[in-house]
Amino acid sequence: MEQELFKNIWWVLALPVFGFLIQAFAGKIVIDNLGPKLGRQVMGGIAVLPIAAAFALAAQMTIALAKIPSGERSIILTLFEWITVGNLSIPFEVRVDALSMTMVLIITGIGSLIHLYATGYMAEEPDFPRFFTYLNLFVAAMLILVLGNNLALLFLGWEGVGVCSYLLIGFWYKDKANSFASNKAFIVNRVGDWGLTLGMFTLAFMAAVVLGKDGAEPRWLSYDVLLPNAARIASEFNPWVLTTACILLFIGAMGKSAQFPLYIWLPDAMAGPTPVSALIHAATMVTSGVFLLNRMSEFFALSPTAGAVVAIFGAITALLGALIAFGQTDIKKVLAYSTVSQLGYMFIACGVGAYWVGLFHVATHAFFKALLFLGSGAVIHAMAHNQDMRNYGKLLKYLPITGATMLVGWMAIAGLPFMSGAFSKEEILIESFASTLTWYGLPIGQIVFGVALLVAVLTALYMSRMTYMTFFSGDERWRLIPAHAHGDHGHDHHHDDHHHEDHAHDDHHGPDVHGFFYTDAEMADRAALTPHEHHHDLDESHEPHEVPPTMFIPLVVLAALSVIGGGWLFFGVNLADWLHSAGVVVHHHEAPKSIMYFVQKTLAKPIFWGATAAFAIGVFGGWFIYGKKLPEDDGMDTSKWKAWRKAAANHFGIDKAFTQGSIKGGNAIGILSWKVDKSLVDGIVNGLGTITAGFGNLFRMFQTGFVRGYATIMQVGIAALIVYFVYAITTTGGGN
Amino acid sequence: MGTITTTILIPIVGMILLFLVPERYPKAIKWLTIVFTSSAFLASLGVLALFSSNQFNFQMVEAAPWIPAWGIQYKVGIDGISIWLFLMTTLLTLLAAIFSFYIDKRPRIYFAMMLLLEAAMLGVFVSLDLILFYTFFEATLIPMAIMIYVWGGSNRNYAAIKFFIYTFAASIFMLLGMITLAKQHEALTGVMTFDITAIQALVASGEFWQNTGNLQTLIFWAFTIALLVKCPMFPFHTWLPDAHTEAPTAGSVILAGVLLKMGTYGLLRFSLPLFPEATQAAVLPIMTLAVIGIIYGAVVAAVQPDVKKLVAYSSVAHMGFVVFGVFSLNQAGMMGGAYQQLNHGISTGALFLLIGLIYERTHTRAFKDYGGLKAQMPIFSALFLIVMLSSVGLPGMNGFIGEFLALYGGFMTAANGQYGLTLAYPVIAGIGVILAAAYLLHMFRQVFYGPLNPKLARLKDLKPWEIGLVGVFVIFIFWGGIYPNTFLKPMEKSINATRMMAINPPGQRPAWSNPNHEIDAQGNLVNINARTTNGDIDTSAGFEVVAAADYYAQGDSATSIQPKR
Repeated sequence: MEQELFKNIWWVLALPVFGFLIQAFAGKIVIDNLGPKLGRQVMGGIAVLPIAAAFALAAQMTIALAKIPSGERSIILTLFEWITVGNLSIPFEVRVDALSMTMVLIITGIGSLIHLYATGYMAEEPDFPRFFTYLNLFVAAMLILVLGNNLALLFLGWEGVGVCSYLLIGFWYKDKANSFASNKAFIVNRVGDWGLTLGMFTLAFMAAVVLGKDGAEPRWLSYDVLLPNAARIASEFNPWVLTTACILLFIGAMGKSAQFPLYIWLPDAMAGPTPVSALIHAATMVTSGVFLLNRMSEFFALSPTAGAVVAIFGAITALLGALIAFGQTDIKKVLAYSTVSQLGYMFIACGVGAYWVGLFHVATHAFFKALLFLGSGAVIHAMAHNQDMRNYGKLLKYLPITGATMLVGWMAIAGLPFMSGAFSKEEILIESFASTLTWYGLPIGQIVFGVALLVAVLTALYMSRMTYMTFFSGDERWRLIPAHAHGDHGHDHHHDDHHHEDHAHDDHHGPDVHGFFYTDAEMADRAALTPHEHHHDLDESHEPHEVPPTMFIPLVVLAALSVIGGGWLFFGVNLADWLHSAGVVVHHHEAPKSIMYFVQKTLAKPIFWGATAAFAIGVFGGWFIYGKKLPEDDGMDTSKWKAWRKAAANHFGIDKAFTQGSIKGGNAIGILSWKVDKSLVDGIVNGLGTITAGFGNLFRMFQTGFVRGYATIMQVGIAALIVYFVYAITTTGGGN
Repeated sequence: MGTITTTILIPIVGMILLFLVPERYPKAIKWLTIVFTSSAFLASLGVLALFSSNQFNFQMVEAAPWIPAWGIQYKVGIDGISIWLFLMTTLLTLLAAIFSFYIDKRPRIYFAMMLLLEAAMLGVFVSLDLILFYTFFEATLIPMAIMIYVWGGSNRNYAAIKFFIYTFAASIFMLLGMITLAKQHEALTGVMTFDITAIQALVASGEFWQNTGNLQTLIFWAFTIALLVKCPMFPFHTWLPDAHTEAPTAGSVILAGVLLKMGTYGLLRFSLPLFPEATQAAVLPIMTLAVIGIIYGAVVAAVQPDVKKLVAYSSVAHMGFVVFGVFSLNQAGMMGGAYQQLNHGISTGALFLLIGLIYERTHTRAFKDYGGLKAQMPIFSALFLIVMLSSVGLPGMNGFIGEFLALYGGFMTAANGQYGLTLAYPVIAGIGVILAAAYLLHMFRQVFYGPLNPKLARLKDLKPWEIGLVGVFVIFIFWGGIYPNTFLKPMEKSINATRMMAINPPGQRPAWSNPNHEIDAQGNLVNINARTTNGDIDTSAGFEVVAAADYYAQGDSATSIQPKR
């Protein structure tokens, strides 16, 4: 009976796929028939429904799963053989366990809230069904990523979410900047995927060598083959082999989870609509790297070097993201760098071996960061799509619900004690401080603890900066913008350039026999049908309005989760034990009586006060700087900024160096190779051709058609060669 | 007359009938071609229906004497390596013929050439006689060259001549090699024959190349260079961008979809089984060329100003993966390489078809003339997106499976330290996957993103029949990515056998002509007429194992990943 219930997992996977197909094939037809307003409401409802239903099914299954004894708490179901070749077999199999179901609940739960929000946020969008086509497909791919029982299925979801991210970043494709951002995201992620693929191959090779001797079924990428045998597989090779495999997997995680140096795509990804930023680029997709490290923790735990590398890169990313956030004036860019920084935090936890804490922070971060992104979307929505915080101020008065929920999110990320963010952040600090991880004699755990504590202060500070600049701080600064005089600030909306189309003229030659082109009458009809967008710019006459209920209900739910979610997961669920039942390595389960465990217990209290102090410094320091008015160092005139803030605004040159370097360098190599191809590689061929053509001209006197001419040359040539060859071979007696 | 011969003859009959239709009835000519290409497709489905996945050997073999004095015969048969290529030929020709409704210039010769080309390509994939193979192989050149020469783009003269001479010149060496093989067979047995099953039987037992010095290496390269030119493999690829760019759309589709595969097919059919020692020795140089091709093709593709040239150079990179997989000499790798042949045919064929559809409307291939098409032609752009992503190798689509398995195979061979291969090979080849995303997304961005180019404002979206045409490709893209076993299973035994022919020591190699040889479910080579009485050998069917499937053979290269001793 229990097994029957778990078969519902196929419905959890299938529902978003159905949603995707309905949006893709029926969306446009429905909206054309019902009219834009009703049509979008109907299609919006159809978009939310499958995700919410999947959440309900997943919740029911998770409750049932919790009732199973923890030792048997992983259920593997196989649908069909996906790839089967002699020495490698990859079934389409899913794994229902504590880790995957936790992720499924985050994805479908927060996913349905964000889908609901998006029906309001995108209500004016002419391309409404295309948006939800991509969004539903994203959920489907993300579910495959977390539910798959092998690394190849993880990779299927991994690249699947990548392509949805690519499509959604470039959703407003008429803006060239967006198309560059989407390409950048996909290509940088592919660099990570290269590492992930090679890491996968290394593990498969090790498993094949070790387990192949037993004549095991060649499912070398399946978790239930790899994970229980991790220690045995690793022990038969030199330690560097496993370390390499783990670091290669981490390179994959670096790409998807935006770790230094592959983080450069994430801030640009904010070009996508704000619900996308909340769902994909904050709550779910970018945390898949942390999920991967949790899933493979049996292997990572065996390689201290890999752990140290993960922790160090996590610490660098956490610090860098926090610093750059201070130079950003675009509200979404602040949140983007904050996400980069918080992801670094999660990898610090994984690096010091506290994998479950990394996932704990994934969950709490999903609550408050989704809230903050959606809140920022509501602010942007209310502020005529102007994203520059320097034009905001005193918005709490106009946006009471949005404002109040965002204040909750601010408290949660800054680490107000007993809010969700505080719990996971403290655990990370405790685990890194108590860690015994050393590398080349360096106390890695304590070093990253220092960085993490500093980042905690910085986080509270830049989030306070954002909050004060938006909701408090002096004046309603958009009143200072004179009407019809706009700077070029960040736009979260696209412009149709209708002028071009008016000048279009018939450019093709001859009559249109195949019916390829619109006639003049049809062109007029099309022009009449094209919706005219009333784009209103932010200026002194603007009055911000609170967003509709479809948009603030998700905010309220997420705010509630941001308050209680952390404590509930920590005390109510006991996340460490829960995830341990899925095979995630948890320290105090491995050695319950180790010294470290007691050290941790003793240290918990001082670190609680340390984290609280970091929170207080950030929030009150922020008030001191930003509470009353916008300081000159952060004002409209960037030339008056301090040097470090200017550097932070330019991402310390890192992004530019990588992006421009690779584009320009790659282009130069490409042009050079092409020249070599044309002049040298092809030049030799053409040179030979010219010599032959000398003979060819003799024959050309008799020939007219080219094919006949060259065929004749060839035939004569071949005949001569064959005669010679047969003669040679018969006289020598067949090569002996 | 068997099914295979019938399939080959249908287009020839069609071609003859075409000449009875006066040129002033182009509709009739076009419909007649469709009827015959559809019939050929149906006939090839008949071949598939009769095909059994349970044996590695040639099936539906038909033989008739041709020039008995020289041991040349008409002998055709099909196995797991050729079955899908045979089907892909009839399918792609049918789809290319449907697209060619847009051809107005001298349709009768055009469609006659297309049918002739189809017959020749089909012959290539089923020939079991070397001279017959050579005849078909060269016979594809003339109709293709004529198609480029008459219906091609602005620089078609140069492209057609280059295509013809380059590939013709290279295959002369192959012909010399073939004659040597026949002569060697005569020297050993007193019978001159070009029958590959007869020649391979002696290779399998080890007699063929005994005491021949470096003759094997010499003839191996005579075959292999001709086939690598056809693939085409760096540095023999320069005919391809010109031919592709100038060819009419249908020509490009067939060129990419089928003609290039004749090269890789030949590697699997001749180079590996007939020259085992030379193959193993050539792994390193050929893998080097494959890796260079993967990177070089991608890098050059990225800077092309012309959408068709970009796809042409991408073919160099993609075919590099095919050769990479085949010469990994690993089960998964060879399956991946063989499968990637089909995927490349579908994906790149579809890309050329889509480019052809837009070219018919705009008569330009330069990126600067496009931009913003996504809003103007949403269905076209959605289809283009899917095909482009399949070419990128996105999991869930066909391209991924082939590339993944080819890289996996290369990785396993290198990790084992076999044939001197090092891990640098799969690591660098993997970079090709990154580059593929870079240049294909770059292409998509330039054509579809950004503000609409005002010159394109009058373009209508695709017509329903055009959508259906591309839709066939899209079905195979997802089918091949979600349930690849449909295509992998029938290939498995033949690929396994081919691998064993290449890597096993003499006496343990399968032989096509030995009716007792079979591959069992575990991948072992067994003698089905000798049931074991020895209880030690544990095989499911209880047959004598001639050679075990050596999944885990260890090499001895210093750079390999070795378990601790």
